Amino acid sequence: MEFTVRSYRFNPEVDKQPYYKDYILNGFPSMTVLNALMKIKSETDGSLTFRRSCRSAICGSCAMKINGISKLACKTQVNSEITKFGIIKVEPLGNLPVVRDLVVEQESFFGKINEIKPYLLGIRENSPDEKFHVLKDGEKITQPVFHKSEFKALTGNNDTPNCILCECCFSECGTEVVNKKYLGPAALAKLYRYIEDPRDNDRDGSRLVNASKPNGIWDCVHCQACEQFCPKSISPVKSIVKLHEKAIKNSITFSKGAKHIIGIANSINKTGRLNEVKVAIDTVGLLGLMNDLPVVFRASLKGKIPSLKLKLIKDMDDIRLAFKELDREEE
Amino acid sequence: MLKHDVVIVGAGLAGLRACVELRKNGIDAIIVSKVYPTRSHSGAAQGGVNAAFDKDDSWESHFFDTVKGSDYLGDQDAIEILTSEAPANILDLQKMGVIFNRNDEGGIAQRPFGGQSFPRSCYYADAVGHMMLHGLFDNVLKYKTKILYEYFVTGLSVNNGRVTGVVTYDIKTGKFEGIAAKAVLFATGGYGQVYSSNTNALINTGDGMAVALRAGVPLMDMEFVQFHPTTLKSTGILVTEGARGEGAYLLNSLGVRFMSKYAPKAMELASRDIVARAEQTEINEGRGVDGAILLDVRHLGKERIMERLPQILQLSIDFEGVNPIYEPIPIRPGAHYSMGGIKTDNDGKTLVEGFYSAGESACVSVHGANRLGGNSLLDTVVFGRRAGISIAKYIKDIDYGDFDGSLVKRDEEIFERLRNSKGNERHGLLKTELQEDMRKNVGVFRERSLMENAIKKIEELKERSKNIALDDKSKLFNTDIIEAFEFNNILLIAEVIARGAVLRKESRGAHYRNDFPERDDENWLKHTLARLNGKGKVEFNFTPVKITKFKPQPRTY
Ligand SMILES: Cc1cc2nc3c(=O)[nH]c(=O)nc-3n(C[C@H](O)[C@H](O)[C@H](O)COP(=O)(O)OP(=O)(O)OC[C@H]3O[C@@H](n4cnc5c(N)ncnc54)[C@H](O)[C@@H]3O)c2cc1C
Ligand code: FES
Repeated sequence: MEFTVRSYRFNPEVDKQPYYKDYILNGFPSMTVLNALMKIKSETDGSLTFRRSCRSAICGSCAMKINGISKLACKTQVNSEITKFGIIKVEPLGNLPVVRDLVVEQESFFGKINEIKPYLLGIRENSPDEKFHVLKDGEKITQPVFHKSEFKALTGNNDTPNCILCECCFSECGTEVVNKKYLGPAALAKLYRYIEDPRDNDRDGSRLVNASKPNGIWDCVHCQACEQFCPKSISPVKSIVKLHEKAIKNSITFSKGAKHIIGIANSINKTGRLNEVKVAIDTVGLLGLMNDLPVVFRASLKGKIPSLKLKLIKDMDDIRLAFKELDREEE
Repeated sequence: MLKHDVVIVGAGLAGLRACVELRKNGIDAIIVSKVYPTRSHSGAAQGGVNAAFDKDDSWESHFFDTVKGSDYLGDQDAIEILTSEAPANILDLQKMGVIFNRNDEGGIAQRPFGGQSFPRSCYYADAVGHMMLHGLFDNVLKYKTKILYEYFVTGLSVNNGRVTGVVTYDIKTGKFEGIAAKAVLFATGGYGQVYSSNTNALINTGDGMAVALRAGVPLMDMEFVQFHPTTLKSTGILVTEGARGEGAYLLNSLGVRFMSKYAPKAMELASRDIVARAEQTEINEGRGVDGAILLDVRHLGKERIMERLPQILQLSIDFEGVNPIYEPIPIRPGAHYSMGGIKTDNDGKTLVEGFYSAGESACVSVHGANRLGGNSLLDTVVFGRRAGISIAKYIKDIDYGDFDGSLVKRDEEIFERLRNSKGNERHGLLKTELQEDMRKNVGVFRERSLMENAIKKIEELKERSKNIALDDKSKLFNTDIIEAFEFNNILLIAEVIARGAVLRKESRGAHYRNDFPERDDENWLKHTLARLNGKGKVEFNFTPVKITKFKPQPRTY
């Protein structure tokens, strides 16, 4: 089977601007996009530049855009791309600066992972019962007991510890496009992985407090792209939603995001309706609203200001009952 | 020039484990790695890591199994350390955040592995290497470690018999730089890319071993190459031994579980060398299926496959187009692991002062002629940790030695010559020729005439490699030049393997010779040491095996 690979090319050392280059090659039945790129590199054009290591979808090196979607080249079959698109178009990941061709600068991505303190906190070092113990003849070791259920949130097919840091989610993240400081889905999923670990001992909840500041968990807009494009079928957005719940349960509610959610819940609990003005005040405060006066003014001209007074809805009792049930469940 | 007390080259499990040990104690240790640490090959380990935890198991039994598995070529004092420190090391990892699957009592769950007389492989589904690598790396971050990633090490500075630093090439900028150090640790992994059809990452090109050899450091037992019995037929991607640990069958074209002929007791879970040879024999005698054997997990049922072998399920679908819930997986033996490596003592110390090695790049030797599955990850953490401890002691009262600055110039010139070469050879194609030749001639079954063909081929490729030209002349992220350098490394390693294999006139563990089919303890119960002489020729001598508890016996499963 003959097909075309169209690659984004840019070497800032010599090129004034990026361009695309076509390579025509012959495939074999189970050929992956990485196989194709390697074939080009070894047989025709050694200057085509990309990262790769494991070729088995576990190291996260070879993420790139393939026909517009962030994917692992080593896990993507040439055949299925050709069937759908008729071509293999490869480009560097989004949301990260290009170094050269398909290689992106990863410093900001890894920096963000580092920022969430990706390790167990509050571990006692070298307390006597935990000393490293070499066995003597006939001796056995006793191990600490952790039941399966304690790791339930973390172990399973599609869970956050399986993340390979390939950056596909980061590349597709909608928030990252508009806010380069946003921690991003992978870092926040990793945060969840450590917060949910039964051995973690972050007594003052510092991680969750930090992540509740701007550019953290409340900046996610729930676009679900991270889940949709994860090559390991992990859902960072689900982890982020769970972090929201945890923050509110632990009364870490100083952030606008948390206040917004609490405001919505209060409004519905009281009236059965969304009192948008009230929610806005709850979220940013009266003073905050003043900053938005120009917007409010323009909105009112277009008749977009909701009425301040809301009638109770008919089934208000049911709503209150539902809230009570939810509270009970949590306890 | 940079200057750090300890330079750790390699950020797989061995390098990271040593690093944690050093950084925990506040030592100025940095990591240099040609890829970002989590891209290291350790992450691909699937099946498990061994330690005797169960009340009915014992580390002594693990000790014996490993000695037997090594076909008595492993050093028993080292294997005693490996197995008696195993449980503590696993608990240590657990304390650092690594997650292992649990059993019903709340302990670490364990699965059977080949050559082990008890189920003692600790696992995390079928991605234990990934879990351990990320867990350890997170701890390296915790101790705020300087990491030079995408830095390629090309040379080792040796001055007055002492290692004084490394030469690095910054892939991003194309600049060479020396790093002076009081101690250097090579944890640079294996050389699977010497062979076609291998399970290894593309970056496993034996760089550390080659650089050490060129600097005058000897390599040990390089003729012992492990061929894994179950790698996907078309790509060589690994199907973990854990699959057979969970109960998978090996079938030939007649649908027969042929292992009953070769290892009636252990069946599919015999030692790797034995299973790989059994498969190759079936294929050679015409009972293969298109040059492959079938691995059947269907009887385990969908649920168990999804729970315990999810990665295998996905890899078979993605890379072989086979869904193992409904069809058997076509597999064949593929090059997998380097038993040999840079010779070290039980604390990671090599024969040159200030120079250490751990993990797959090292040869302690705990694996002897054949490594048991699940013992290599163990090796990386046990000896990575020990190397860290001994380096910490060593650098305490010692000053920096003189860095040999001429090396930076030497490597700069090699790269410059490559960049400007007008030759007509492509390193990518030469590599394929070498890999194919090594598979055919220095593979699962070996004999003198074939191996001599391989050596001829290697000599030819050495000549032709002088005419390698590059397409990429750029300094910025030039991977063409890196691959060319890597090719020179695997070429050198291939030569050491082939020459060592010709030399060893017996069959032991993974080294099987049709022309010498028996193990010969009288003449060959010894380690091979390879060095480069002044003229760049490989020379060999021998060193005895340490036998403490277990006298060599015939090995059957
Ligand atoms: C597919 C697969 C599955 C496996 N499964 C198991 C298992 O279930 N159980 C088990 O016990 N073992 C298993 N093994 C073996 C085990 O994974 C490896 O032996 C082990 O992980 C090696 O670790 P390491 O730290 O020595 O090296 P690696 O993880 O290979 O790391 C090498 C490091 O060195 C660096 N490096 C190399 N050359 C240079 C250079 N020139 N300059 C700078 N840096 C350099 C690399 O960047 C990398 O960081 C498996 C192996 C494979 C291939
Ligand atoms: S090469 Fe490792 S994920 Fe593709």
